[in-house]
Amino acid sequence: MTSQPLLEFRNASVDYATSGGTLSAVRDVTLTLAAGETFGLVGESGCGKTTLSMALMGLLPPAARVSGEILFRGASLGTLAEPARRELRGNQISMIFQDPATSLDPTFGVGFQVAETIRAHRDVSRKQAKARALRLLAEVGIPDAAARYADPPHRLSGGMRQRVVLAAALANEPALLLADEPTTALDVTIQAQILDLLADLQRDHGTTILLIGHDLGVIAQVCDRVGVMYAGQLVEVAATAELFAAPKHPYTRALLGALPTRAHGPGRLPVIPGQVPDLTRPPAGCRFKDRCPAAMNVCDTGPALVTGADGHAVACWLDPAADGPAPEGSATAAPVTLEGGGDD
Amino acid sequence: MSQATVSRDTVQRGTGRRGALARRLGGREGVAGWAILAVLVLIAVLAPVLAPHGVNTIDDSRILAGPDLSHPFGYDDLGRDLLSRVLYAYRVSLGISIGSVLLAMVVGIPVGVLAGYAGGWTDMLLMRGIDLLLAFPALLLAISLIAILGPGTLVALIAIAVIYVPIMARVVRSSVLVVRGQPYVTGARARGATHLAIIRGHVLPNAIGPVLVQASVLMAFAIVIEAALSFLGLGSQPPTPELGLMLAEGNDYVTTAPWVEVFPGLAIAVTVLAFNLIGDGLRRSFDPNWIAR
Amino acid sequence: MTDAPGDRSLLEVEDLVKRYPVRRGLRRAAVHAVDGVSLTVAAGEIVSLVGESGSGKTTLGQCVTGLTRPTAGLVRFGGADLASAGAAELRAFRRRVQPVFQDPRSSLDPRWPIERTIREPLDAHRDGTSAERGERVRTLMDLVGLPRQLAWRRPRELSGGQQQRVAIAAALALGPELLVADEPVSALDVSVQAQILNLLTDLRERLGLGLLFISHDLSVVEHLSDRVAVMYLGRIVETGTVADVFTRPRHPYTKALIDAIPHPDPARRMTRTRLTGEIPSPINPPAGCRFHPRCPVALPACATQDPVTTSFTATHSAACHVAAASVVSLAAATEPEKKEPQL
Repeated sequence: MTSQPLLEFRNASVDYATSGGTLSAVRDVTLTLAAGETFGLVGESGCGKTTLSMALMGLLPPAARVSGEILFRGASLGTLAEPARRELRGNQISMIFQDPATSLDPTFGVGFQVAETIRAHRDVSRKQAKARALRLLAEVGIPDAAARYADPPHRLSGGMRQRVVLAAALANEPALLLADEPTTALDVTIQAQILDLLADLQRDHGTTILLIGHDLGVIAQVCDRVGVMYAGQLVEVAATAELFAAPKHPYTRALLGALPTRAHGPGRLPVIPGQVPDLTRPPAGCRFKDRCPAAMNVCDTGPALVTGADGHAVACWLDPAADGPAPEGSATAAPVTLEGGGDD
Repeated sequence: MSQATVSRDTVQRGTGRRGALARRLGGREGVAGWAILAVLVLIAVLAPVLAPHGVNTIDDSRILAGPDLSHPFGYDDLGRDLLSRVLYAYRVSLGISIGSVLLAMVVGIPVGVLAGYAGGWTDMLLMRGIDLLLAFPALLLAISLIAILGPGTLVALIAIAVIYVPIMARVVRSSVLVVRGQPYVTGARARGATHLAIIRGHVLPNAIGPVLVQASVLMAFAIVIEAALSFLGLGSQPPTPELGLMLAEGNDYVTTAPWVEVFPGLAIAVTVLAFNLIGDGLRRSFDPNWIAR
Repeated sequence: MTDAPGDRSLLEVEDLVKRYPVRRGLRRAAVHAVDGVSLTVAAGEIVSLVGESGSGKTTLGQCVTGLTRPTAGLVRFGGADLASAGAAELRAFRRRVQPVFQDPRSSLDPRWPIERTIREPLDAHRDGTSAERGERVRTLMDLVGLPRQLAWRRPRELSGGQQQRVAIAAALALGPELLVADEPVSALDVSVQAQILNLLTDLRERLGLGLLFISHDLSVVEHLSDRVAVMYLGRIVETGTVADVFTRPRHPYTKALIDAIPHPDPARRMTRTRLTGEIPSPINPPAGCRFHPRCPVALPACATQDPVTTSFTATHSAACHVAAASVVSLAAATEPEKKEPQL
């Protein structure tokens, strides 16, 4: 493998056609993921993080249009037809979701479902698939895997189900694992176990993980780098320690400030005034400007995401790095329009 | 989740009263269904005005004659104008289909609400009673009733209603169960609301959706059931103009005078279509995930 | 039963038990949702109930608000026992204790304008004239920070935070002294959560409202509460002030819970003292101390004997053999000062 980035978003945008107009769910996201890292995409509801991951997987509804480029291992995903996409899913790119109860088919044994994922992409016999599935179940920490192989999902607890889901996701040694709120529905002690497991699996298999969530605590513990999204825009990207210690974007600062753990003592928490803008009529330029304590007139245009020398990227006119040479990613070339979501 | 949230919450609903009405009726299909039904009801009500000839006026010279300029639907086996008969038949057919379902709702809804809301023994007893009714094959039940009460339009209406009561009760009950489990009902109890107030204010308005959809489906079916009964001679009796009866009467002449069968058949099909479209529209308008386009 | 002088005890729960019968195949078993819980809340105090699935915290909340009748034990509010109250007493009681639920979307009738939802308790109790009720609704909306022009909107037109404010306003309509809030901010975004937490603190200051705050989110609990009670499988395993429980946890489960909190601070990596195993089902709780199968420091006695609650300070107590043993050895060295088991 070269040092080519594993995953690249270039000016990726997602728009939905609705009866009220065009909804701009994601706008101009430019992001690069290197092989082997754990990247956290964080933001509140409606920020577009799940939409972005769905665009990557090609699982958007037909009403969505994706523009810009999404490149996996250097190849543009937009040019792929559905059979090629299906070849990628579960094989090179895997995804796990929040609710383990609906991720697994309730009528089949859990072991069978893992084996099924293997056989969908590998030419192996049933016996071989079962053997591999058993090994995976043991690896994710299912006690007595052989006995539980045939158990239907409802016999397992939430934490156990999520482990099965992980086993199925990693069965074909994917290069990229998308985890959308994987621990949100779990109790906190179980969540800790699953996060440990994720870290162990990542270390053993070298999988790149894109972790999507709203829980900043989980992101802080697990990820190497973090990207913050607001109202469809990517506003800040940095190494985890850097982001939490010295956030640069006003939204990131406000978000961290609103956390109870970072408050200094009891009393009122600082609050972000206003509300998330209506994405069918998105404001021009920075979408946070109406709620930003430092908004200026220039915020009506741009700002693009600018990466500083230390790798810390911010989309804000306030950051001194933005005064440098013309930032890349600004609207110079017309974005290529691709058919989104498609026919699945 | 954020994707669905974005789609649902920030979508601007179609502006204007036209858009709002289309949404309430559930899109193009719903509007079409209601439009057709409106026309049919109008026909039924205005039949005396619209019918060019008498319903029972016999013209011996024109038995089974085909359509001509003054009689666009042709003549039936007794020389009567088919168009007039079809127009008047709508009165009976719509009356039966709508009436039977309304009657079933009047009986079935209270039963379903009581069973669903009270739960426990009440629920069990009521539902076993309903199951008993459901255990009888529908047509057999209807025939038995008619055997007791004698054939006729009104009896057919009652028989169909009896068949429908358990179906209604079940739909209502499951709908009520869903609503009863919602926190806003629990909250209402905690705020001191009486059971009656909760049923009136919370349960009924929120549970009525599936019931209305089911009602439209049942209305479509009622016409078919009535046609079956008339075929067996158990529904409306001649000379009453009624679509199912006309189908039965015209059965012998399908090859020689097909219009006697075709036009009543088409009339039934259009009515069933209208009810089904309405049902589809209702189903969509109650679906929280459906976005009007 | 409280020890802070001058604090009127608002709510007293004594040995509360709630069992649900359940059929497992042909055998009859019971879910021990709450199995002997004692707790107090003083006027104007915020007490948090913390626990994971199966801890019984939600059931306990339901018993306290009168939505469920306990199987045994007492729920005393202002001296009167709720469990044995008749219909009229229950109605009067409802004015003093009100619930707030987790999901703001489903705790409001989707077809009712929010004005009607907030007015519902006033209508139910026939408080005042129609005009007076309308005025009270407007006052309540101001109190919780809802703009008055939202009064005739439906819930789906409001944001999650606004919906939760409506739910709180409706809960406040009858002027209760205690709110029982079950995960009221769990479904909300962080920035909105902050607003609601501020609102709850404001209400406590302005109205002297007591709050029983049920949650699994320890960071919120740490920020908001005066006292904390930790529950596991139907029992309270530790109680104390926030400082007691978070800085000097005594029960191994409390320690594990605190260790498991993912801190939004990469410098504070979660320690690796992990609890193994799953949370057992409350249908057949383990014998002895319910936590012993997962406990990293369990003693042989833990498998057979139910631990008694021991006090460490005037405010801090826990039910754990291991923790108790440390008290005993400490007491042996100093002057014995064993108080009555206190919660």
